[in-house]
Amino acid sequence: MRRERLDVHRSLNGVFVGLIVVAQVYPLAWLFLTALRPEQDFASSNPFSLPGALTLDNFARAFETGNLGLNILNSLVVTFGANLLIVALGMMAAYALEVLGFRLRGFVRGLFLIGIIVPVQIALVPLFIDYAAVGLLDTYGSMIIPLAGFALPMSIYLFSSFYHYIPPETYEAASLDGAGPYRIFGQITLPLSLNTIVTIVLVNSIFIWNDFIFANTFVLSDGLKTIPLGLQNYIGAMGNVDWTATFAAVCVTITPLMLVFLVLNKAMIQGLESGAAKG
Amino acid sequence: MLPHRSRVAVLVFLLPPLLLYGVAVLLPILQSLGLSLFRWDGITPMEFVGLDNYVRMLGRDDVFWQAFANTLGYLAICLVLQLGGALVVASLLVALRRGRELIKTLYLLPAVISTVAIAFLFRQIYSLDPVGLLNQALDMVGLDGLQQAWLSNVSTVLVAVSVPEGWRFTGLYMLIIYAALMAVPAELEEAARLDGASRWQVFTKIRFPYIRPVWVTTAIMATTYALRGFDIPYLLTNGGPGQASELVTTYMYKSAFSHTDYGYASAISVFIVVECLVAVGLIIALLRRKENA
Repeated sequence: MRRERLDVHRSLNGVFVGLIVVAQVYPLAWLFLTALRPEQDFASSNPFSLPGALTLDNFARAFETGNLGLNILNSLVVTFGANLLIVALGMMAAYALEVLGFRLRGFVRGLFLIGIIVPVQIALVPLFIDYAAVGLLDTYGSMIIPLAGFALPMSIYLFSSFYHYIPPETYEAASLDGAGPYRIFGQITLPLSLNTIVTIVLVNSIFIWNDFIFANTFVLSDGLKTIPLGLQNYIGAMGNVDWTATFAAVCVTITPLMLVFLVLNKAMIQGLESGAAKG
Repeated sequence: MLPHRSRVAVLVFLLPPLLLYGVAVLLPILQSLGLSLFRWDGITPMEFVGLDNYVRMLGRDDVFWQAFANTLGYLAICLVLQLGGALVVASLLVALRRGRELIKTLYLLPAVISTVAIAFLFRQIYSLDPVGLLNQALDMVGLDGLQQAWLSNVSTVLVAVSVPEGWRFTGLYMLIIYAALMAVPAELEEAARLDGASRWQVFTKIRFPYIRPVWVTTAIMATTYALRGFDIPYLLTNGGPGQASELVTTYMYKSAFSHTDYGYASAISVFIVVECLVAVGLIIALLRRKENA
């Protein structure tokens, strides 16, 4: 009797979870379906209905209308540049803080902590003014600098908490052989950091790839527009939008990150969990 | 500690990160504090006005207070969806035997999609002409009287721009809460069950108190992210119609880049920082008090 009640509970539970997941994922599935649907079909039928026919025309129009290829290239440059800074500088700072050690480390840690709490909006006006003064406005750098700067504290934090658990004996042996701080960093710390690097790159790539606010504020010319800005070009004059082509463009731009996520989701989920649970 | 550490080595490793961080984060914070004491449009000479921008913001600007009230509403909706929704789903998931990994992955999927894409998607969901997903769904369950243009109606627009933000990150909080729930020792729960505790009691008396530290972290994360929320309201309605969905962040952005009122925008951005710090302080104080009780 009790067993049976438990089973009923279990299956109800399963049905519930299933419904919630469908509700959560359905909008995304709908987006892809719409991208494959002929334009007239989209305009005339019930949005919940399955497409009457499947077509790739929308994708052709999406590439004709916009600058998708260039946008993707720009996003790749910014994502690569910012990640490089976040990883390299994050490792260096964590190495100085955790492994080398110095008198003011508590103060420096505190400084970096500010960046975790402070919202990015505070930097928009000053950076705009500073960029204008030094001619950095409308460059890759104008996006990469704040994206990397605001992500740096979390990266330092993750590297630090990892370096904290590397036993000192690991360094002592090398140190006795006469290795200095630079060689130890290159030969011991760096190779050991690989897993943490992967996690940090994965998590940060999501935010950098999707960044809207910095790109929208600092980039003006079409040639430098990243994906989020490029997508906005699909809203035509008078608010007229070719929706199926727009959705095709959206699909093209979200697919790379979704594929990476679906393949590497274990590492990503672990990174998000550990980053958050400790932060 | 390394035996052969030197002052030079510390500087070599520490200066480059400090330099980037200083230029991108620390210096702009100081500049914002400074600029907030001036009136400046970026062209004519700067004029020192003391605390006038703050007086104007807190005392004379109705739009600012409307935006602040909207921000609180936006925050409330995000918290309910993200933390409340995450807790419900995580609890259901813990009791599940199969498919947990798949569900975790699918549930997190919206978090990897850009806000611009999400804005496009929700514009279609809320659309009235052609009939979007939401209005069509209302029609199918016989509530067609409720059909409307959700983004142009003053009384629904705030909820409409808040929901996508809540939806987007609920998976992240679900994961964190789920991981915490999995760490609750099974013996504790079993002992309580043997003593005749109901499911609800197990949840409120054991699971929930046990994950309180994670609750603090997630509450801080969700609150500070919601307070700095900008993209989706800016893209969906740009604060409109009127000021019905104006947030403090979108108002600051307009003051800076539409009205080029740099001093006033800086004062508002300082307010956003203060808002976040106060919120973090409140959360810590509230949840710590409960711990002592």
